[in-house]
Amino acid sequence: MTHTPAPSEAGATYRPPLVLRALTAVSVGFGVVAAFMILAAVLVTCHMIFVRSVLGQSTIWQTEAVIYLVIGATLLGLAYVQKLRGHVGVDLLPGLLPVPARRVLAVIVTALTIAMAATMLWYGWEMFHLAWERNWTSESVWKFPLWISYLAMPLGFGLYLMQLLVDLWIAAFAPPGALPEVHPERSLD
Amino acid sequence: ETLKLSHQWSEGDVRHKVAQMVADEVKAADVDLDIQIYPNQTLFKAREQYTPLSRGQLDMTIFPLSYAGGQQPAYNLTLMPGLVKNHDHAARLSASPFMEDIEEIMAGDDVKTLVHGYLAGGFGSNKGCITGPEDVQGVTIRAAGSSFEQMLAGAGASISSMASSEIYSALQTGVLDATNTSSESFLSYRLYEQLKCYTPAGDTALWFMYQPLLINKTTFDNLTPEQQQALTDASAKAEAWYLEQAKEGDAVTTKAFADAGVEIAEMTQEDFDAWRELAKTTSYPAFVEEVPNGQELLDAALSVE
Amino acid sequence: MDPLVIGGIVALVTVIVLFSGVSVAIGLLLVATLFLWIFDGPRSLTALPELFYAELNSFALLSIPMFIIMGASIASTRAGPDLYEALERWLTRVPGGLLVSNLGACALFAAMSGSSPATCAAIGKMGIPEMRRRGYPAEVAAGSIAAGGTLGILIPPSVTMIVYGIATETSIGRLFLAGVIPGLLLTLLFIAWAIFDTWRRGAASSVLSGVTYSWREKFEMLPRVIPFLLIIVGVLVALYGGVATPSETAAVGAMLCLLAAVLIYRMFSYRDFWVVLRDSTRESVMILFIIGAAGVFSFMLSSLFVTQSVAQWIGALEVNRWVLMGIINLFLLVAGFFLPPVAVILMSAPILLPIITAAGFDPYWFAVILTINMEIGLITPPVGLNLYVINGIAPDIRLKQVLLGSLPFVGCMILAIVILCLFPGLATWLPTAVMGVAL
Ligand code: NA
Ligand code: NA
Repeated sequence: MTHTPAPSEAGATYRPPLVLRALTAVSVGFGVVAAFMILAAVLVTCHMIFVRSVLGQSTIWQTEAVIYLVIGATLLGLAYVQKLRGHVGVDLLPGLLPVPARRVLAVIVTALTIAMAATMLWYGWEMFHLAWERNWTSESVWKFPLWISYLAMPLGFGLYLMQLLVDLWIAAFAPPGALPEVHPERSLD
Repeated sequence: ETLKLSHQWSEGDVRHKVAQMVADEVKAADVDLDIQIYPNQTLFKAREQYTPLSRGQLDMTIFPLSYAGGQQPAYNLTLMPGLVKNHDHAARLSASPFMEDIEEIMAGDDVKTLVHGYLAGGFGSNKGCITGPEDVQGVTIRAAGSSFEQMLAGAGASISSMASSEIYSALQTGVLDATNTSSESFLSYRLYEQLKCYTPAGDTALWFMYQPLLINKTTFDNLTPEQQQALTDASAKAEAWYLEQAKEGDAVTTKAFADAGVEIAEMTQEDFDAWRELAKTTSYPAFVEEVPNGQELLDAALSVE
Repeated sequence: MDPLVIGGIVALVTVIVLFSGVSVAIGLLLVATLFLWIFDGPRSLTALPELFYAELNSFALLSIPMFIIMGASIASTRAGPDLYEALERWLTRVPGGLLVSNLGACALFAAMSGSSPATCAAIGKMGIPEMRRRGYPAEVAAGSIAAGGTLGILIPPSVTMIVYGIATETSIGRLFLAGVIPGLLLTLLFIAWAIFDTWRRGAASSVLSGVTYSWREKFEMLPRVIPFLLIIVGVLVALYGGVATPSETAAVGAMLCLLAAVLIYRMFSYRDFWVVLRDSTRESVMILFIIGAAGVFSFMLSSLFVTQSVAQWIGALEVNRWVLMGIINLFLLVAGFFLPPVAVILMSAPILLPIITAAGFDPYWFAVILTINMEIGLITPPVGLNLYVINGIAPDIRLKQVLLGSLPFVGCMILAIVILCLFPGLATWLPTAVMGVAL
């Protein structure tokens, strides 16, 4: 919540290497998927209300589907929101630091975040694999295969990890003006 | 040594008291074993307890076994319409070869039963009284358990799935016409404030759910013989008390509904038979189709007198 | 080790980790993982993704993205500015009319949105530039919007009330009703302060009375607020007319707002539509990520018996019930400084509720008290979501000015808590009148 100078000219025009831009494009792609999953959740809920109150028919799968859609959207959207700098944090200390110290702190914080995402990816894969191997389903009449929903865990944290590596590179090597901003409104695009 | 026991109910609930009883008895046995109870889903969420239990991250739980029906479809038999007639029949079922089959499946997941127990439930409705299958025609109902949903759908009801915490307001605003759940839930959600007619679990009841006290098998096997003995003794005592309380629970709920001025309906033997015939063409075939040795298991359960 | 000591260490480590600038969600996950590793052993880490997933595996939580879509789609159309313009034309004769109309717009928007940052963003985007253009000091403009936005979670529908309802198994419909009168009370207190403050300043009010509107100008604005009113009516009908449950209502609202945006406000371009979706996704993912992480964090606190021990400690305090209420308020206020409302509620409400009810307080009344505490937390650093929103809208207003401007409104909130303590009926009367005696 402190004021850092707006990205300098050097920062605003800075373009990371192609590989990093390609990885970022993948994050954006999944971000679009996440956005439409949330929209689909709205539509499915409205469909459920319509079927139940107007048609007077059974609504078996909708509640579950909405849950899977929104959990999926949350996980698949992690990387995109990271790219938009949308994950809020307390940026009091980073804002007070001079640029070199801020760079060191940004590297440490990003590295810690990477370690956490890797942990979630590792155990998330186990969770998915168990459900897939043993053919677990939801306990409702719909019997939705849980591995589909659980897959979002390793996939989402994997994408997040990838985007974090991009950010780590930027935090370590990019010019000061291109350092990650906490406020999404001021992200570079 | 301390064992962690998790469950989803409040501290006033009979199932918490069963857990507390086992914990107290084991402590009194003075075998260096403590049971730490986490009620109210303060450790794991209601439906998410089976996996940590089978992995040994959780030591004990009181758990409606059918919640794990997505992992072991055979467990769906522990919440199957018309399989259990009354509490004494439920107790005989718990001691039958059928339950041994179920326990064998549980052993495969490293889970062991300490206390057997069934709880009963009934129907509540704002569109007449629900006793037989013809009463749910065109009724929007929220049922507990997929086998019940299949049977009720077969009777022409429209099934609405929603979280149990939303039943109250859904009944109030008219989103739901009726619901079917345990006597304990009817009481704890205060549904008597919203329902016009209640069909309790009486001499014959349709809805019975197996809710045992479980322990991780490896955890149990690693206890000393004295600790195992203390746990087994405490469990036997608790099981007898659980059965008694299950019977009383139905009466307590019925009284609360009657006191609130709710009409009380009764399910007759003919009604029960009609439901069971319906289940034979809906829930039972669905179950048999899903579980490899489903027919054997079903026959084993139905053969218990 | 004594759970209270562990709790103290956890609190300290959490503060240090969060102040490093790491995102709130990752910070909570890191602290939870560290302490589970140390005290429960590495085996407990296998449960991390399941705990995270289980926390999000709830239909009621999923109304959060839908409420956010409501706010984002309204904010992107003329609906907001129209409403605001109408209020302004009708309120010019009131001292601080613009302030009053902004606060009124916040209250009205709060009746449709369940999220404070969404309310703050929607009204702030037009309100803050407008107020500054007409000579209001920056801190007054920013502070009033930051505070007005907090009404989003007190006036129903409300995301935090939903979370409270799930965490404590209380009726969400009843919680919504409990928030209505206190929400109006708080709006009135805010407005009263705004009028008093403008009158006190003297000069500012003369700037404002320069603009006057004819009756014709006043009436011609009314048809333009009709879509807005229709959406409110639609949501309320769905909620109370037996069409949808409280959590489903959010989808009805989101749908109505999107339809209004496209059909009435002619939002035909894919780009505009994408901006609504993108902003909603960004905010939803951010909030749900924190919720999932807070679930893991509270599992850690529960597993180490920290929360239970703190609760037992508070419960064992041999104090007057009002002293107890004071301690709990202090705890909530401090927790609110560091954590977003949803996290505080998930971690503390189930523990505090039994103590509260044992002391003879009403759980629905307490939900209102807790919500007002959380509202204060939203406009105080270091974790104050509304502050971030204001900063996004008006980056040149310094944090100090925003804080200075919102301070009197914090005073209003504390006054509201005092009033509610003196007259608990303000919160409990409506739910009882509509839904009967509480559960
Ligand atoms: Na609201
Ligand atoms: Na705060």
